[in-house]
Amino acid sequence: MSPDYAELHCLSNFSFQRGASNADELFARARRLGYRALAITDEATLAGIVRAWQAARQHQVALIVGAEFRIYQGPKLVLLVEDLAGYQRLCRLITRARGRAEKGRYQLLEDDLREEGCDGLIALWVPDDEDDATPGRRLGELFPGRLWLALELHRGPDDAARCERLLGLARRLLIPVVACGDVHMHARGRRALQDTMAAIRHHTTVAEAGHRLFANGERHLRPRDALAELYPPKALAESLAIAGRCGFDLGQLRYRYPHELVPREHTPASWLRELVEKGMLERWPEGASTEVKALIERELALIHELGFESYFLTVHDIVAYARGQGILCQGRGSAANSAVCFALGITELDPTRINLLFERFISKERNEPPDIDVDFEHERREEVIQYVFRRYGRHRAAITAVVSSYHAAGAIRDVAKALGLPPDQVNALADCCDSWSDRLPSAERLVEGGFDPASPVLKRVLALSRELVGFPRHLSQHPGGFVISEAPLDTLVPVENAAMAERTVIQWDKDDLDLVGLLKVDILSLGMLSALRRCFALIERHYGRQLTLASVPAEDGPTYRMIQNADTLGVFQIESRAQMAMLPRLRPKTFYDLVIQVAIVRPGPIQGDMVHPYLKRRRGEEPVSYPSEGLERVFKRTLGVPLFQEQVMELAITAAGYSAGEADQLRRSMAAWKRHGGLEHHRERLTQGMLERGYDAGFAERIFEQIKGFGSYGFPESHAASFALLTYASCWLKCHYPAAYACALVNSWPMGFYSPDQVLQDARRHGIRVLPVDVRYSAWDCSLESGRDGAWGIRLGLRMVRGFRQVQAGRIEAARAEGAFNDVAELARRARLEPRALALLADAGALRALAGNRHRARWAVAGIEAQRPLFASLPATEEQAVPLPLTNTGEDLLTDYATLGTTLGPHPLRLLRGRAELRRCVDSRALAGLEQGRGVSVAGLVVGRQRPGTASGVIFVTLEDEFGMVNVVVWRALAERQRLALVESRLLRVSGRLESKEGVRHLIAHHLHDISALLDGLDVRSRDFQ
Amino acid sequence: MRWACILLPRLALDGVLRRHPDPAAPLALVTGASQRRVLHAVNPAARALGLRPGQSLTAAQALSRDFTIHAYDPRDAERWQRLLAAWAYRYSSQVSLHYPCALLVEIASSLALFGPWPRFEARLREALAALGFTHRINVAPNPAAARVLGNAHDGLAVTSQKALKDVLGALPVERAGLPRDAVEALSRMGLRHLGQVLALPRATLTRRFAPEVIRHLGELLGEWPLALESYLPPDEFDLRLELNFEVSSHQALLFPLRRLIGDLSAFLAGRDSGVQRFTLELEHVKGTPSQVPVGLLGAERDPGLLFELARGRLERTRVGAPVRAVRLVARELPPFAPERRELFEARPQQSQPWEQLRERLRARLGDHAVHGLGTVGDHRPECAWQPAFLASAQVDDTRPRPGWLLARPIPLDAEVAGILAGPERIESGWWDGGDVRRDYYLIETRQGQRAWVYREVGGDGHYWLQGWFG
Repeated sequence: MSPDYAELHCLSNFSFQRGASNADELFARARRLGYRALAITDEATLAGIVRAWQAARQHQVALIVGAEFRIYQGPKLVLLVEDLAGYQRLCRLITRARGRAEKGRYQLLEDDLREEGCDGLIALWVPDDEDDATPGRRLGELFPGRLWLALELHRGPDDAARCERLLGLARRLLIPVVACGDVHMHARGRRALQDTMAAIRHHTTVAEAGHRLFANGERHLRPRDALAELYPPKALAESLAIAGRCGFDLGQLRYRYPHELVPREHTPASWLRELVEKGMLERWPEGASTEVKALIERELALIHELGFESYFLTVHDIVAYARGQGILCQGRGSAANSAVCFALGITELDPTRINLLFERFISKERNEPPDIDVDFEHERREEVIQYVFRRYGRHRAAITAVVSSYHAAGAIRDVAKALGLPPDQVNALADCCDSWSDRLPSAERLVEGGFDPASPVLKRVLALSRELVGFPRHLSQHPGGFVISEAPLDTLVPVENAAMAERTVIQWDKDDLDLVGLLKVDILSLGMLSALRRCFALIERHYGRQLTLASVPAEDGPTYRMIQNADTLGVFQIESRAQMAMLPRLRPKTFYDLVIQVAIVRPGPIQGDMVHPYLKRRRGEEPVSYPSEGLERVFKRTLGVPLFQEQVMELAITAAGYSAGEADQLRRSMAAWKRHGGLEHHRERLTQGMLERGYDAGFAERIFEQIKGFGSYGFPESHAASFALLTYASCWLKCHYPAAYACALVNSWPMGFYSPDQVLQDARRHGIRVLPVDVRYSAWDCSLESGRDGAWGIRLGLRMVRGFRQVQAGRIEAARAEGAFNDVAELARRARLEPRALALLADAGALRALAGNRHRARWAVAGIEAQRPLFASLPATEEQAVPLPLTNTGEDLLTDYATLGTTLGPHPLRLLRGRAELRRCVDSRALAGLEQGRGVSVAGLVVGRQRPGTASGVIFVTLEDEFGMVNVVVWRALAERQRLALVESRLLRVSGRLESKEGVRHLIAHHLHDISALLDGLDVRSRDFQ
Repeated sequence: MRWACILLPRLALDGVLRRHPDPAAPLALVTGASQRRVLHAVNPAARALGLRPGQSLTAAQALSRDFTIHAYDPRDAERWQRLLAAWAYRYSSQVSLHYPCALLVEIASSLALFGPWPRFEARLREALAALGFTHRINVAPNPAAARVLGNAHDGLAVTSQKALKDVLGALPVERAGLPRDAVEALSRMGLRHLGQVLALPRATLTRRFAPEVIRHLGELLGEWPLALESYLPPDEFDLRLELNFEVSSHQALLFPLRRLIGDLSAFLAGRDSGVQRFTLELEHVKGTPSQVPVGLLGAERDPGLLFELARGRLERTRVGAPVRAVRLVARELPPFAPERRELFEARPQQSQPWEQLRERLRARLGDHAVHGLGTVGDHRPECAWQPAFLASAQVDDTRPRPGWLLARPIPLDAEVAGILAGPERIESGWWDGGDVRRDYYLIETRQGQRAWVYREVGGDGHYWLQGWFG
């Protein structure tokens, strides 16, 4: 009979670069070996404990929560948690130890243990030296009656002698001895991976790591009879005694919402009702319809039933702050587009405008908060974050972690390095992997990269990389996920320093939080919101019209006509080349069409082959049919084609008898199956359920394949709806206030797809006047200026001047307010501009009115003499005038681009049209009138090169000429043949065949000709065209 | 005074190419951290592939895989510059390294010896071509101008002040050797040629530009002298050639050797001395370099003779580990007196200290017959001890290990009387195909010897002898 055993010292792969097995593997093996319990004791971290908890439940082996530490300049010990108090103590200890050290490290002091106390914790001392009793004595004082000596035997040089000495040491200290395994991997087979990880940790190779590697593979979960051979029975039995004392379970953690959300005289429910009712008055001043009222009642009842009031109050509190500060925001996510959220101001999407069923997003079965992400203006999100920290304090609010895992490239890179491959080969190997992919390169790809996949070294690299992929690598901070709690966070989970100063991060990621039931709010940033807020402000100021996201007139005809013509440069979401190509085909007419448009041009629908069926049905070229009445309800809005995640969930409910909670599980598995698999049991359930309900097997199979194709790319309708709202608003603004919109876009840069130059060129093509930068008129931002005809034009701001700083612009504006400048010397003096800033202004042409052309302006600012206070009253030294060369158009153009990133003069192509190289080229305006199938040549500035993930080997090149853009398609064969011209040219001539389909025109390239040299020819001096 | 400036525009690249077996093949020098390497310089063949300096290596490899790369070392360029200075010293006593990648040579006083200039120039070019360095040579009345002319010209000899002004005037401002910000400012003012700048009243320039700009203009025109530090030839020769491949045959070492000897000879001629003793160091991937001392009985500098001697000594040396680099160090450089050496030389009978005895043993028995022992961090006993040719680092292993370790384990044929300690399990070495899984025991044989033996884990239980304890 093998003795019973509980392993009390075991690392998972969350002890980064040490533990070589994940929790699932560890618990599965512990179960197989009949262990009574397994402690997960990662080094100074609980980042992996929720996963361990999950694995423990799955494999039905008791989990003991613990952590391993090395006390600063002291002994190594393992702390195990007995009860909730012990757990909180451990969290605080890790928080203290981590807070003291730089990110990723820790420093635990003896004083920490002394000050935190030891109730609820059990300490195992792992002696470094069998003969030194001092550390044990000190630990004994810190953990009276709670200290064990960890006897860890790994078939070293003389285990019997070592065991005797350790037993003797314990006897001297009067402490009990317990057998431990110091486990680093679940099975011996991970020895090579463990060695490799050790080498990675020490930044060396396995061959050179020497004694930093373990001498053997004994640090795995060993069979109990093997342990019986090594350890005294009493030490083994002791492990069970300890395990018996450790009764803590993560399920005991209780999260409480912050108290300050609810005024004293209210309950969360009554307060939420009050806020919603107040909001309804604002949203529906003349009273909400009975329909809306009923909807809200239904939602409130559901929220109350599930006890989510505080969650909505938390989000409301943050959003209310933002609104108070004039920060634009928009919620999205499962519950965001409810009527309650509309009343609370969390979303601007009127629930009557789109029919999204709230119940679809809050499931009664899973007891976890609904997910609401809120986007804020990208430039002002930090204010919101600071508010959260201020309101709840740094100890109660923190950012959630993101576990960065090894992808194929990273794994292969680290492993290859550890196996001693030279840097060039390491890089070349990593280049063979697709970025962010978890799949290792195929043998063909490796051969292509110059490797021999059959060589022993490469085989080792691949085998080890395969094991390493998916392992956690380090913790980083989530871009905006916040956890807020009533109790200090370090009683729930350890808190670490973030890389960014003044930020704290908890050790759990969002999946962990879901499992433990902690509240999380995503505070994200979105550039478009900044642009919209700016645009609203400009309209209010110059046109006297007050607009909000909610009050932008709905279903506006001219706006949809503009969208149908793909005149959408610079709007939200539907501005990319792929989106623009789809617009004339899909021809959106209603808001819901936009929701579909936003969702359909994505890898999911494209790879799931849902785009063409949808388009055909929309145009009536294919009949719309539904397999059943129930499914008609689900798929009617998308003409029978599944496009949204929600539809897949509904399908599972309607056609296969899933419960809402199970359908949500399906959604999660869909998102994760590529990484973790786990869709197969859904195949059986779906098929079975559908057969029972009278669907045929072929249909069920097809549906399942579509779900798989959907995979992780499926877009939720609720997100698409929130995005579509912003898309519509931005389109409406572009349609009705194009100058204000372009101006706001440029001022919000960097954001979006297009550069300020492209936005401004587009504005000019729409007949909007753009005025140059001028120190007499320009502010930091671009602004609207009315011309003699009363139309608003865009005055370029000083932000356009490359290298110019906002404070300098501020000084110019302030000085200008006190009176106009007479010359550059006065400008320099009154605005306190240093020579560098003046030179930038001169080169940008902003001093034209004060000092003449760029040459003269630069000469003038260089001649300004340094201020000498004593002589300030003396007139500046007179100087003879010197003749300087005049500027010319070509040179101006190049300088415009170099200093402003755009030009108000003629487009470079206009200047070059007369050149022999362009003689037979058709311009983009003439191209629109040509019939398709024709051979034709075009030339233009290369403004974009894209290799879409969905089109194999094709490269899309966008050329810009004086009239607009030309889309060029370069097939792979040509791309490879003319790689240099494709990659290097700034000005490109393309000969090819014109293709036109439903109003979208492409040039299929046959030959590329790099004529970039012509640009340099515009100016003999410089090559700084950008 | 008249100055020639020898501009070496591809100094670092040439330094690599000249020891390359096929300099016409595409090659690029790379620099930067291993994660993000950038091309520093490319040869014409590489340029034809589309490679450009400043490109990232990844981008370059996306264009072509068909080129070799070599690490750029800025110290290399300086070394070559100094070497060439030593060579130029034979032509003029005033050589200066004032500008990087360029040599300034005062020629007025040398013309009598090597002139006239066209012949002198041809001689310089021929020698540089033989040494394998791309160059541009221009002459001007002052050194600053001679240097700047190299930015746009090659083979120009400007002798008069008037002609100098014309030539300088036609120079684009960005080629005039001015600081970058001054070039930018001037061109932004629309001033593209140096002539336009020089035509402006000097006071207006002084008001607008830093003093060093004004001084540089003065130096170009010869209005201000350029303070030059004259080159003094060093007292020793030390040159290292890194090889592109690991070389383990003598034959493959001869090419770099010939280059080294050629450079040594050029150096010696420059300072008019000879060499009596020098050392070749063969650097290996690991471990200390092998030394090949070459001694002569008298000072020599004839490259052919030196090469033959060095070659003879090299061929007697066994090249053990592959060689990565060859270094030639000559510290004793006596004046060269071309005379024949004595026919019968009396050599004192020497007592032999240990080092000499060791050397003689090695010469007789082969270099690898005599060696010390060093420890290597490896859990596998047969890998933990390795021959060392110099005193090695201390043992950091405190485990009980026998003093006499067998090179290869052999089956134990003694009878085991008792196990004193063990099993100690060793599982290691999977990475080089030499994975071991063994349980080690300290045993006592019937004869009372204490042995270190092992059994394969999962094997047939047979003992293998690994070593004896003393």
